[in-house]
Amino acid sequence: MLECQNGNQAVVEETSLLMIFVTFNLSIIALFALPSLCQPNILVTCLHFSATMPLSTQSQADEEQYVFVASLDNARNLSNILKAITFKDHAIFSATPNGLKVTVEDSKCLQANAFIQADIFQEFTIREDLVGFQVNLTVLLDCLNIFGGSTVPGVSTALRMCYKGYGYPLTLFLEEGGVVTVCKINTQEPEEPIDFEFCSSNVTNKVILQSESLKEPFSELDMTSEVLQITMSPSQPYFRLSTFGNSGNAHYDYPKDSDMVELFKCTKTQTNRYKMSLLKPSTKALALSCKVSVRTDSRGFLSLQYLVRNDDGQICFVEYYCCPDEEVE
Amino acid sequence: MKCVLEGNGVKAFGKAIHALSRIGEDLWLDPMVKGLALRSVNVAHSAYSCFLFSPLFFQHYSLGSASEQGNETIKCKLVMKSVLPLFRCLTSIERSVERCQISLSASSDQVIIQFFCRHGITKTHNLRFQESEALQAVFASHLCPNVVKAPARLLGDMVMHFPASQEEITLSMTPLRVSLRNYYEGGNDHMRTMYTEMSLHPDEFDYFQVGMESDITFCLKELRGFLSFAESHCLPVSVHFGAAGKPVCFSMEDMVLEATVVLATLIDSENSGPSQPTGTPVSSPRCADAAALTVVSHGADSTKPQDTPAVTELIASSQGSPIIKPPALIQLLPQTDNPDGLGVPGEACAGATTTPASTTICSLLFRALSSEQDDDGCAARLPVLACYSDTEEDMEGDYTRSPSL
Repeated sequence: MLECQNGNQAVVEETSLLMIFVTFNLSIIALFALPSLCQPNILVTCLHFSATMPLSTQSQADEEQYVFVASLDNARNLSNILKAITFKDHAIFSATPNGLKVTVEDSKCLQANAFIQADIFQEFTIREDLVGFQVNLTVLLDCLNIFGGSTVPGVSTALRMCYKGYGYPLTLFLEEGGVVTVCKINTQEPEEPIDFEFCSSNVTNKVILQSESLKEPFSELDMTSEVLQITMSPSQPYFRLSTFGNSGNAHYDYPKDSDMVELFKCTKTQTNRYKMSLLKPSTKALALSCKVSVRTDSRGFLSLQYLVRNDDGQICFVEYYCCPDEEVE
Repeated sequence: MKCVLEGNGVKAFGKAIHALSRIGEDLWLDPMVKGLALRSVNVAHSAYSCFLFSPLFFQHYSLGSASEQGNETIKCKLVMKSVLPLFRCLTSIERSVERCQISLSASSDQVIIQFFCRHGITKTHNLRFQESEALQAVFASHLCPNVVKAPARLLGDMVMHFPASQEEITLSMTPLRVSLRNYYEGGNDHMRTMYTEMSLHPDEFDYFQVGMESDITFCLKELRGFLSFAESHCLPVSVHFGAAGKPVCFSMEDMVLEATVVLATLIDSENSGPSQPTGTPVSSPRCADAAALTVVSHGADSTKPQDTPAVTELIASSQGSPIIKPPALIQLLPQTDNPDGLGVPGEACAGATTTPASTTICSLLFRALSSEQDDDGCAARLPVLACYSDTEEDMEGDYTRSPSL
């Protein structure tokens, strides 16, 4: 059922077909269909016509219902970092007064987390100690890019993300150039993220590298190799990435005194193998980052932490945890 | 063998590998006293390329001690797919690689290619290779009647006019001009093709020698990588060729390297000798087709053009050769003198391939390759246009004979 009135909300209740109405100058109505978002029961979108009602003027009553509200002047500061961990459809969102953590897991062996601190947001309000929910990450990214993701300088999509609590959808208000879109994404019961029990006290080897030196090797890794082997040692070869593919093997060696190595703290020689298919998605995070820290603990678990600068130069973190492959020598 | 390349040498080496990758799926590494040769040949044996880097090209070049190698030279064949990725991004090689070391020893079955990059980073690749017979086509280019020499830029500009998908082109030479035009097989698509032809006056070339007027048709795709290399090194390219059916040789050289590409050309049936295929034993379907074609064209003299059923009977010969589709036959019949460029391969047999060009490219360049080749029996009985030479002395001798203009 549709009601269209100038400046008022219209609700689309049909879940099988998504229609967007856009009003220009309050008098022209155009109708577009977005078949790509037609996923019954996953996404309900409602539209808000407004050239005159900016995001901030919502009714006071609405405000008090939300248990979590976060705003960004540039939605890319969120969408770019989320792209670095989008290797699975579903993500667990955990919001605390410190900020937002988004977790994606794969086959209980790999976990990726993106951290966006509270002070990155223009507005960050949370009424509980921990607010958690699970959403389809692909759908969320589609919504964040709903205006087409143009890179015209000075034009950016503003975002206001609101959540009323358990059982409610995640509401996104997106605005660009005076046009507003409202998206509501169904949420699911958040799964408990795996605790890899990776703690600093258990770390045996740690190396911090400039991402630039790793980007090329990672992008040209021999994909016919099932594993990526990482060797870290206080003696030669110091830090080595190895692959074992169909035509032969390859080794990438980084000496500890290289100017690409910012920190080198290795206590004992360790060689561990990790499934290539699990680690390859981390290439996206590597591409965004300027520094990466590689740590292994006594069990051979791997922690990769990436320092990412967003469009405004602010710092966010992405980390990957990975279990070693069964056949460790 | 151990050799070390530095700086720009690595990029040039990578570019040579790019050019060779356009030819075949395997790369032969042949370390010799006179330099390191990289060679490749295509599946149909209708294209061959060789890049010879003299010891001066390298910072260091050694063949190992005599006792190590003995009298054997290592003949190593690598899969192109495993070598090309190492040199794929030439701009990043230029930016970050300081030195490249290639080691090859008879005792192990691995080639070790090491890149020493900036910031102390080292990339080591151990690639398995196969022992293989030496591969070489020796082409007596000094015997070719037609020779042109031009800066690579000129040839590049000429082929630029043809779309990247263009398989073959025809090079025509007369005392008055040199022209290039695209070549299409069969007449079915006359209305849909775009014909391009360009001509150049002999004065455009650095050297122009026309011994006989000829039109040669060869595969352009296999040449592009070579021309790209020549352009990047600003080297002049020499083209040696003769009548249609004889191979064409493109070559370039400077003080530290020599490169050649030898391509087979289509036989033009007008000019071919009246050799009868009846005596030729056929063992491959291709040859059977060819024999059938020839039979048809002779049969057509006595049958009316419209007499299709009779012709079809001829085709189903006792050899059990497959029946050729009628449209092709009908075209043949009224034009017995000019079967539209289809080869009358009385003297040749193409290898088992799938590309349309190769089915009618009628000259074999050379005979012996690695023993794994599943060459048909007819290959051994066919005249060889470029001899394969087994001994090193012969090879060296032939190289010194090739003309430098």
